[in-house]
Amino acid sequence: MASVTVSNVRKTYGDVEVIHGIDLDIADGSFVVLLGPSGCGKSTLLRMIAGLETVTSGDIAIAGRRVNGVHPKDRNIAMVFQNYALYAHMNVKDNMSFSLKLAKRPQSEIDEKVGWAARILNLEPYLARYPRELSGGQRQRVAMGRAIVRDPAVFLFDEPLSNLDAKLRVQMRTEIKELHERLKTTTVYVTHDQIEAMTMADRIVILRDGIIEQIGSPLDVYDHPANLFVAEFIGSPAMNLLKGVVDGNSVRMDSGVVLPLPPERNPGQGRKVVYGVRPEHMGPGTGTGIKATVNVTEPTGPDLHIYADLGGEEICAITSERLTLSRGDTISFNPRLDRIHLFDAGTGKAIT
Amino acid sequence: MEQSVLHRTLRDIAAVLVVAIFMFPLFWWALTSIKPMYAIFNKDHVVVFDFVPTLINYAVVLLGWSRAEIAIESGSTFGVGGTSSYDSRQTILDSIIVSVGSTALTMVVAVLAAYALSRMTFRTRTGFLNWVLGQRFMPPIAIIVPLVLMYKAAGMRDTDNLFMGYVGLILIYALMNLPIAVLLMKSFFDDVPKDVDEAAMIDGATRWQTFRRIVLPMVRGGIAAAAVLCFIFAWTEFLLSLFLTTIIRTVPVKITTFVTSTGSEWGFISALGTAAVIPGFIFILLVQRHLVRGLTLGSLKE
Ligand SMILES: Nc1ncnc2c1ncn2[C@@H]1O[C@H](COP(=O)(O)OP(=O)(O)O)[C@@H](O)[C@H]1O
Ligand SMILES: [Mg+2]
Repeated sequence: MASVTVSNVRKTYGDVEVIHGIDLDIADGSFVVLLGPSGCGKSTLLRMIAGLETVTSGDIAIAGRRVNGVHPKDRNIAMVFQNYALYAHMNVKDNMSFSLKLAKRPQSEIDEKVGWAARILNLEPYLARYPRELSGGQRQRVAMGRAIVRDPAVFLFDEPLSNLDAKLRVQMRTEIKELHERLKTTTVYVTHDQIEAMTMADRIVILRDGIIEQIGSPLDVYDHPANLFVAEFIGSPAMNLLKGVVDGNSVRMDSGVVLPLPPERNPGQGRKVVYGVRPEHMGPGTGTGIKATVNVTEPTGPDLHIYADLGGEEICAITSERLTLSRGDTISFNPRLDRIHLFDAGTGKAIT
Repeated sequence: MEQSVLHRTLRDIAAVLVVAIFMFPLFWWALTSIKPMYAIFNKDHVVVFDFVPTLINYAVVLLGWSRAEIAIESGSTFGVGGTSSYDSRQTILDSIIVSVGSTALTMVVAVLAAYALSRMTFRTRTGFLNWVLGQRFMPPIAIIVPLVLMYKAAGMRDTDNLFMGYVGLILIYALMNLPIAVLLMKSFFDDVPKDVDEAAMIDGATRWQTFRRIVLPMVRGGIAAAAVLCFIFAWTEFLLSLFLTTIIRTVPVKITTFVTSTGSEWGFISALGTAAVIPGFIFILLVQRHLVRGLTLGSLKE
């Protein structure tokens, strides 16, 4: 087990810089998720930690040791790839024991470790099978088995679940999390799926275009997004973001709609802001409040998603009340004032 | 149901017809090889099956029977003339040595080169395609004169040393085959995802171990396919073997000597031609179990 430290790391391909100076501390035993849209540099960062890409400048340390020039095999890490990267000509057992054989471990230890990993991952009946004879989820487990038999200091996952179907993805999510609870190995997990990040991470690192936008616990980044990008990226359906100008104790939209602010928030008269409310804090009802026109409703079972037109902007609200609404109905919102997010319209930064 | 039976029958008939068309020359050649002289040379009508089969042509080319023995066996000396020896045992051995040797040499070099081209970046990498194309543009006949001089100077031509003769032909066939073999192998290596190499490296394998134990077994099918191509080229090549060696006569060159000033020995030609199919056939049988598709199947998501 080990901590991972990334200090001021940059990466350029030719003339293009794709990672612009990243600082990151990953504590021993933690489960850190690198989250961001496709192409933001998550894989590049992970592969630099693995030693599969060189670091253009800056330092990477594992367990306090600088590893910039160290070969991947000497970093004591294990990696699970998006497309599994199994050894197609070897059966499951040989796939998992390959690293131990290379390390010239005694056969008894190899058998014991592979048996242990197969038990944990429910692969015992498949040890003699070849990868082509396995389902997607089983292949994914073999890839994980290959990683855990080595008892590495750090696990690196690069979008390991994105090739699985939705149901399996949820199941494997839980399995990976359980595995981490059990082994307590430092884990760096890359994904573009914010639900995966929210459900699995101790800490989420949100990346955009090679820079870190925010680091925090899942609830931290959900409840206190540092900027508009994070606010929009985390949460599904996304946070409602409405442009307006501060007017006394409220925000007035261009369309004239007045959005209430809590009394203690005073961002400054006339300031251009973005007013953010999560759908579940919209407080839809039929009484007084901000009036909007219903566009469409989507019952999900536990909740009802309401899409409505508010001064020309489409907003979303979630309620567990069984409201009966149809298109064109008027609905009123009373947003929870303690859950309102304000962002500067110019910089996009959160206003506290 | 009835229609599907008809459908199937028609399809089977078509398949048999196509195979028959392609197999006919081979069949006719094999048939000719067991015909006695009078059945091959008959000015009145084409003899198809009404002859007494004989193995005399094979006895001559494969066992080295002399003209006297033929005369005794056939009871006639008709058509047995010329000064060439028809004993082709050494020829077949030479062809096997040269073809197997050049194929092995080509594949060793091609596999290593293709892996490097597929996996590593170096300065001259992009020149590779030009090399392949350049070599394909240039027919051997265009460079045969300088080649002959070079071979002479290197002691591989006009020598009594059989070994040097083998080396010479093996080298030139390997050179001719290399570009296409490298190109082919590179595409097979390119089909193995780089993630697999990286996974092996993280598992603790060195570059060589990754190549030897992970990637190479995954391109087995490609190696078999490329080897078959190289073997067939070497086995059937004529021009280079005619010009670049004096001591070795490969099968295609030897057969031309059966066309003599007193007539073409069709019986011997067809016997050697038929016999020459067999080593290639055996070679392909040996490698064909590796010629299965989808060896990388399962390494990746589908
Ligand atoms: N080998 C490479 N050469 C050039 N550009 C690359 C290379 N690998 C990645 N990139 C670029 O770096 C950026 C980040 O890529 P990547 O880390 O794969 O993104 P992510 O994993 O977040 O989707 C992308 O813009 C991509 O085009
Ligand atoms: Mg990626």
